[in-house]
Amino acid sequence: MKSDLISMNDLDLADIEHYLDLAHQVEGLPAQERVRLLAGRVLMVMFYEPSTRTRLSFESAMQKLGGGVIGFSETASTSIAKGESFSDTVLTCERYADAIVVRHPKEGTARLAAETASIPIINAGDGTNQHPTQTLLDLYTIKKCHGQVDNVRIAFVGDLKYSRTVHSLFQALLKYQGVKFTLVSPESLRLPGYLKLSAEGRQLDFDETDDLQAALAQNDIVYMTRIQAERFADIMDYEKVKNAYCLEARMLAGAPANLKVLHPLPRVNEISPDVDKSRFAGYFDQVESGVIVRQGILLSLLGVL
Amino acid sequence: MNSERHLLIPKIESGIVIDHVPAGLGAGILELLRSYAGLDDAQITLGLNYDSNKLGRKDMLKIIAPELPKKVLAHLSILASGVTIKRVDNYRVQGKYSLQPPDHIEGLARCINPNCISNHERQASARFTRLGETSHKFRCAYCERVFELDELDIVLP
Ligand SMILES: [Zn+2]
Repeated sequence: MKSDLISMNDLDLADIEHYLDLAHQVEGLPAQERVRLLAGRVLMVMFYEPSTRTRLSFESAMQKLGGGVIGFSETASTSIAKGESFSDTVLTCERYADAIVVRHPKEGTARLAAETASIPIINAGDGTNQHPTQTLLDLYTIKKCHGQVDNVRIAFVGDLKYSRTVHSLFQALLKYQGVKFTLVSPESLRLPGYLKLSAEGRQLDFDETDDLQAALAQNDIVYMTRIQAERFADIMDYEKVKNAYCLEARMLAGAPANLKVLHPLPRVNEISPDVDKSRFAGYFDQVESGVIVRQGILLSLLGVL
Repeated sequence: MNSERHLLIPKIESGIVIDHVPAGLGAGILELLRSYAGLDDAQITLGLNYDSNKLGRKDMLKIIAPELPKKVLAHLSILASGVTIKRVDNYRVQGKYSLQPPDHIEGLARCINPNCISNHERQASARFTRLGETSHKFRCAYCERVFELDELDIVLP
């Protein structure tokens, strides 16, 4: 039976660890060996909305494994603009490729693609729902920084109310043992209560604060997100909080030596460029981990690893 | 005239009684039943706002029909789980049970998330899975949003 990667809700801890192990395995392979693994295979990218970063990461992953990439990253010039149904597009595209990566503004589209196609489907974002390769690469980065995910101390900073990336990573981390969370956000952008539940539906308690400086002293990972002006009904409220969640190098003076700052990127001004050259910057390594994790996923779904 | 109760709820010789319907839901159940071929011309009595020890006020339906088809019961379990279904024969209740929420719902309810693909592509027929054995929460297979049973938008046949 073919495998797909659609949602973190489909994965238990063993499945997640399997993908992280694969990434580790891929990272250990010499480049000249990697480039033979998917020679002759074709990956189709079906992007119904632009996401240059995610698309480039998948393209890099596939090409470094020796495979080719075809597809589209907007729909204006395709038959979709002529009114073709999504299912028909999938049924057509699967005849060109060995696997499909889908990004779509509507929730559930990747699931529909997986039900429609007979080749593996990878979800690269379906509306506000899921973006599992982002979550897996975040977990891989955390594991690389600290040797394990269990017992890591992590601060989520910024827009915890609307960030899909934060919600998904947060829920995945709840599957691990002893993870300690600090939730740093303005009052109006707190993590939604429905996420703060154990697997059995028990209400969990978390350390919530608006003090970024204090959080830096007691965490191993600081996961930054962008606070978007359009989330605020009153622009004055935005002006009040935007600078409180801006990380600068001087604020990291008393931070634990092995602390890493992560960010799903692109950043705007929530991380000052003077952090980039410090030992705390992990966000560009995170980009590289993204390619490796996606290579592991491609190799797994295409039955090579 | 034996009792007021008798007057309010005329007995049926044989058929199905849907009892313990939360007040206000009876009319919706009637609409559902009447939308099914085979039940659309059945004799149905609808009673509203009876006193009930359990619910305070309740509605009740009596249907002259040998049974309710499986699909009707599946539909009813979304709209009105918890109601009591009684089989009446020869003026006596021959069997009764409480209608439980379904474990899976497919094709009988729409997802209320307007951005869910099931509301846009004909090939994506909305389906929902119950989160746990005792839960009234259901997850949409497509958008993965979690809904209470009574939030779902029933699709009439
Ligand atoms: Zn849905």
